[in-house]
Amino acid sequence: MTIFLASVGFGLVTSSVLAIAAIGFTLQFGVTDVLNLAYGAVMIAGAFLAYLLNSHGVNVWIALVVAVAACAGGSVLLNAGVYAPFQRRGTAPITMVIVSLGMTLIIEFGVQAIAGGTSVSYAMSNGPTVSAGGFTLTAAQFAVIGLSLLVMAGTHVLLRYTKLGKAMRATAANRTLARNCGIRAGRVIAATWAITGALCGLAGVVFAMDAGSFNATSTDLFLVLILAATFLGGPGQAYGAMLGAVIIGLSTEISAAYITPSYKYVIAFAALLIMLGVRPTGLLGKAA
Amino acid sequence: MNSYYLINLLIYAAVDAMACLGLSQQFGVAGVTNFGFIIFQAAGGYTAAILALPRDSANGGFQSYLGGLNLPFPIPWIGAAIVGGLIALPFTFLVGRRLRGDFAAVGLLVTAVLMNLLATNYRPLLNGDAGLSLIPQPLQGEYNPQASGYQWVLAAISIVLCGAVYLFVRRITESPYGRSLRAMRDNDTVADSLGKNLLSLRTTMLVTGGAIAGLSGAILVSYITTWSPAAWGYAETVVLFAAVIIGGAGNHRGAILGAILVPVGFEEVTRYIPTSNNLPPNLIPSLQWVAIGLLIVIFLWVRPQGILPERKRVARAVPRPAAPPDGTAPPDQTARPDQAASPDQAAPPDQTEPSAIVVAPATVPLTTTKPRGEAAQPGAEPAPPPHDHEVVLQAVDVVRDFGGLRAVAGVSVSVRRGTLTGLIGPNGAGKSTLLAMLAGTLPVTSGQICYLGRDVTSLPAYRRARLGLIRTFQLAAEFKRLTVMENLLSAVPGNRGDSMRGALAGPRYWRGDENAAIARATALLEQFGLEAHASSYAGELSGGQRRMVEIMRALMAEPRVLLLDEPMAGVHPRLARRIGGELVALAAGGLTVLMVEHELAIMDEFCDPVVAMAEGAVLAQGTMSELRSRSDVVEAYLVG
Repeated sequence: MTIFLASVGFGLVTSSVLAIAAIGFTLQFGVTDVLNLAYGAVMIAGAFLAYLLNSHGVNVWIALVVAVAACAGGSVLLNAGVYAPFQRRGTAPITMVIVSLGMTLIIEFGVQAIAGGTSVSYAMSNGPTVSAGGFTLTAAQFAVIGLSLLVMAGTHVLLRYTKLGKAMRATAANRTLARNCGIRAGRVIAATWAITGALCGLAGVVFAMDAGSFNATSTDLFLVLILAATFLGGPGQAYGAMLGAVIIGLSTEISAAYITPSYKYVIAFAALLIMLGVRPTGLLGKAA
Repeated sequence: MNSYYLINLLIYAAVDAMACLGLSQQFGVAGVTNFGFIIFQAAGGYTAAILALPRDSANGGFQSYLGGLNLPFPIPWIGAAIVGGLIALPFTFLVGRRLRGDFAAVGLLVTAVLMNLLATNYRPLLNGDAGLSLIPQPLQGEYNPQASGYQWVLAAISIVLCGAVYLFVRRITESPYGRSLRAMRDNDTVADSLGKNLLSLRTTMLVTGGAIAGLSGAILVSYITTWSPAAWGYAETVVLFAAVIIGGAGNHRGAILGAILVPVGFEEVTRYIPTSNNLPPNLIPSLQWVAIGLLIVIFLWVRPQGILPERKRVARAVPRPAAPPDGTAPPDQTARPDQAASPDQAAPPDQTEPSAIVVAPATVPLTTTKPRGEAAQPGAEPAPPPHDHEVVLQAVDVVRDFGGLRAVAGVSVSVRRGTLTGLIGPNGAGKSTLLAMLAGTLPVTSGQICYLGRDVTSLPAYRRARLGLIRTFQLAAEFKRLTVMENLLSAVPGNRGDSMRGALAGPRYWRGDENAAIARATALLEQFGLEAHASSYAGELSGGQRRMVEIMRALMAEPRVLLLDEPMAGVHPRLARRIGGELVALAAGGLTVLMVEHELAIMDEFCDPVVAMAEGAVLAQGTMSELRSRSDVVEAYLVG
């Protein structure tokens, strides 16, 4: 029972990290129509930027804020400099995915070229261990869960109650129509890259905190989890991504407690392939 | 430069070129973006290894692996190609008609990542992270693998096999089957609507590409004698993609060039970078990956067609016989007498003759189609009279929902043989949706579609197309990177070369069918006044010309019922009237046409009856003048 509870605890932390990442990923795809596989690379770039500051004595939570801002800016630039020009040219979606794979190599191995191939960790205090309802988690882990809940609530408020969120949803549904209705699609898309980039940076740093030690290629496998959560909930669906993140996060960690941890990704993988094969619109999506 | 270095270079070049040819066939020709390509090479490598290795105890027991069959050369290589092909089968569910190409690609990419993870962590299967080593080289019992002569022979065999693969993929690509693959690459929905079985085409591509990749893996392990997960990370696939994109996707020589420039070139160039202790570890390999990423992005931007772009295929002019070969049909004969003599409705005459009617008055006698029509007259059933006005296509209470929106709400329509039925209605009335459901492009939410007295509701679009139910599309639907001539030829059913087997049998096997098709297409092009553009890429034509290409292509598909979605949009009015006149002539020959059109003058002149739809339902049906007298129709459409 303790193993189970402990794994649920880890699962909640993983789900929290995953939810932040998956919400960003799915919104990015839904609104901008770019299936940006370089998302994981941007995450790890953010994590390393925070490490760079942290290793020079900056508190990791302040470093986190800087990484979030940098990833927001970086993602806007990534779109303006690479994806948007390709899209303006009418590049096919599949070619966009190949471009994003190219960007993955450039960013990920660019980070590795600078940071070296070794694993690093943040110098941070995990705070006192807190036990609540049978779970034993560190204060830092509770902070990650709290941040994730904040992001989910914020996403809800953004999409439901703000003008920008409504414009994002309209753009996601039909870009041309949105533009004809007077929505400045260009601005909405730039704002989306900034918001999702910020989520990406946040996800990168909390992922690195959660992982303990990380290197430039650590997010390769985490991207599989993000994709699984996204497709489980239905691509482009923010609420679906939240649901998907909880399911994938819990199931990977609980399965890791009972079978070898190295295979914990298999569940995510199976979930992803089944969704792709059977219901590509996701659990919350419309039937095909 | 010693011979060892050169042999090494040659074998790597041959292996990479072979893999790139497989990928070029899948991605460049057929548009199947297989981001998991490296799995197939890995599977080939492992298969060759465990077929050649002795039982695990024989190597001192330090490795554990499945199999260990100790089989002699060349069985391990053959086995590798077979396994490489077979493991493609589980992936076919990703590449059917339903899933977007980019989602399927992501599924394959994730599979590659996970397979590598599993092979790394699960030791009993393939010795895990450490991988297999001491893999026996071909015939190492009889010859000394260290001898330079042996290695030269191995290199020569690799190059010969690579050449064989090149000839193999070229034979496929340059056949009518290859044209179908390229049509699917350019627009899969349209290829589907012309009778191409996408699932079968893509599965064949995954299997052949997988077999080629498997063989390349086998050659590689036979040379390097080790194989481990580190050799086939997902990023290795990206390297091969970079090679194919840079060399020129769709051009097999480009694939070979790309293989020499990218995987081979990178290894060789970095060999000459002086190693310095001042450089951080991993810097050079990291920068190599960065450079590959940059090459992909820059090439896709600056020269997306690659260094050697896809070759334009110009059809050979087919000499027209002065008189029909069998002498039974004088050149000036119209189709009518033929029609009476033609067999039942399933045989081509019903379909080819309509074009003959139109063409016959022109200077071009359709002699080339006649042997074909007559060859297909085995039974002597009497032809049904073309003007029996029997119902050939019927929608019964058809409904289509898009999420919460009911686009078509219980429509019943009957289309009678030999008529030119018009379909009008305001935007959003559900006309195109109805057409798509009739053709099978969209499944019905509920209701029934009957065609030639048969329930075809559950038949996929390509099967309906093969029965002669052909549609065109409202939006531009030409195969952009096929020439106009190729667009027309791609639709011809029953070409002997339009199958994997026919393609491999070679041009001599299908040349006759191809020439007949070219002659038909040429006649059609002359009739529509587009013969000057036969060798232009369809993507370079004007909007009106593309519409005409689409109509001609649909006619080449030998339709019995033609569903046209705004065929005259963007076409010059004079030309539109000519097309209308030709459609009337075709209808007189037994062809049935259902046409969505906004230009009411066209409807007035050519269509009878006309069906008016509004808000997903049929409002009225009758002649145009009857419709004009109905106030509800006028209100819904003619005025508003």
